Amino acid sequence: MLRIEGLSRPFGGVYAVRNVSVDVADGELRGIIGPNGAGKSTLFNLISGHLRPTQGRITLRSERIEGLSAHERARRGIAIVFQGARIFRGMTVRENVMVGAHARTRHGFLDAALRTPLHKREEREIRQSTDAALERVGLADWADRYAEALPLGQQRTMQVARALCGEPALLLLDEPASGLRARERHELARLIEGLRGGGLTIMLIEHDVQFVSNLADRLTVLNLGEILAEGAPEEIRRNDDVITAYLGREPAP
Amino acid sequence: MKRPPRTHRVVAVVAVVTLVLPAVLRESALSVYILLELAAIVTVGVSLLMGYAGQVSLGQAAFYASGANAAALLSLHGFPTGIGLLVAPIVAAVFALIVGIPLLRLRGHHLAFATLATQLIYLSMVGRMHLTGGDIGLQGIPPLTLGPFVLHADRNYAYLAWAALALVVLITHNVMTSRPGRALRALATSEVAAESSGVPVGRYKLAVFALAAGFAGLAGGIYAFYVGYVAPGSFPVLLSFEYVVMAVVGGLGTIEGALVGAALVTVVVQSLNQVATLGGMPSYAPIVLSYAAYSGLLIVAVLFLPQGIVDKERLRALATRWRARWTTPR
Repeated sequence: MLRIEGLSRPFGGVYAVRNVSVDVADGELRGIIGPNGAGKSTLFNLISGHLRPTQGRITLRSERIEGLSAHERARRGIAIVFQGARIFRGMTVRENVMVGAHARTRHGFLDAALRTPLHKREEREIRQSTDAALERVGLADWADRYAEALPLGQQRTMQVARALCGEPALLLLDEPASGLRARERHELARLIEGLRGGGLTIMLIEHDVQFVSNLADRLTVLNLGEILAEGAPEEIRRNDDVITAYLGREPAP
Repeated sequence: MKRPPRTHRVVAVVAVVTLVLPAVLRESALSVYILLELAAIVTVGVSLLMGYAGQVSLGQAAFYASGANAAALLSLHGFPTGIGLLVAPIVAAVFALIVGIPLLRLRGHHLAFATLATQLIYLSMVGRMHLTGGDIGLQGIPPLTLGPFVLHADRNYAYLAWAALALVVLITHNVMTSRPGRALRALATSEVAAESSGVPVGRYKLAVFALAAGFAGLAGGIYAFYVGYVAPGSFPVLLSFEYVVMAVVGGLGTIEGALVGAALVTVVVQSLNQVATLGGMPSYAPIVLSYAAYSGLLIVAVLFLPQGIVDKERLRALATRWRARWTTPR
């Protein structure tokens, strides 16, 4: 699905991401962990197109994409849920989610102004898939509220619904569980499991190693912009380098 | 039969009233009415640009002027006047596309000043060019001829402007309630998230900028045929401010707001004009009073009606309170 080779991106002489190579298989759930400042969010921004790499290549389904802009990558099936609440203020929850369908629909200003058949067909379909996405994440009851009136947790869930509405091939989730209460985290975990069950390829950044270990097929550990380790969750938890980087102490003999 | 929804009834009533008005207005009031309609056409575009898409333009009168100049030049060079009217919005939109490519990389105040500068440069160029008649401008523009109809009477221009305004309102409504409209509203508050939802943010900003300019150009084209001459002095910077004041006072991001704002500001400024041209008033009174009216209305709106006059939530609350007052026995 996604192949990253030798990816680098410095900021003012310091590498935020350095020579990173990752292979994510079709339908895989890949967890990305690492201490603060390890370059996890930068890696996501490089994949989604909000940042350009200075070196390296990114291949999505055998197409090179590192030179494409973010909206072009969205059209090719990459969706991202940001860590912060990147919501569209002044729009209802439903309208926010409807925007997510932009990536896979195509009627423009002229079609809208003239109410062409293409416009009608797509609007009907966008409405249906939006309702389905809202239902799926459990926000159907909030659909007609303004997005900014939602608590932070629901704003995050709304972003997941927005991403799903675009029917992505690869979903990037940047710390979706942070700031959520225990019950909400549990629901989120069930939602992510369900998505993977449906065949969606997911990359998940998470601070909580326990949370991500239970979900992920494989984990990639970043530290200071470089890959420290990669493997199945149980291997990673026994990895001495990881323990040192994470806990700041020597592993037990 | 099912009763049509409330908004449809309101639209129908407004349409009928505004169509009857030209038939009953005196000549001086009729010219104010036409200018009001033309201002409303431009203001709907400004509201679309500022209220929905979150971009600013303090140079909208430049696009209005470019439409007027295009219509005037074509009809003075022997083209059918209908072609002139058709080309006016296209010229304004293309003008906006060209200046928009560099300008729309700017945001907020920077964009406001850049659009203002665009208008100043445009006026200065038009004022120096032989083609556009320099500071004197273009005169003797023939009346608009559409098929067998020659539009001589003011009343005809009132109906033409009405039709143009209806078209602009319809286009805006249709765009805003669909995929491109949602994308515009989305990029107004988060360009990053809009971009990751697949919205080509730069291209969409340019498109809405050109669309709003096209509306202004259409109004400018009608203005050229209605007045019969166009000069740089007909399109002062004050005119650009007027559109922004109209949009803000009425309520940004709503079509009703743009219409109400254009109507209110025009009526206030014209009434003050009446006062200013009374005997004994100094010659600069009209300009001073109109500046005072714009700034006064703008300050009042920003302080007390931040959502503009057409603030649906507030109007709904007022309506409920009034209904309660009238239905409770005393």
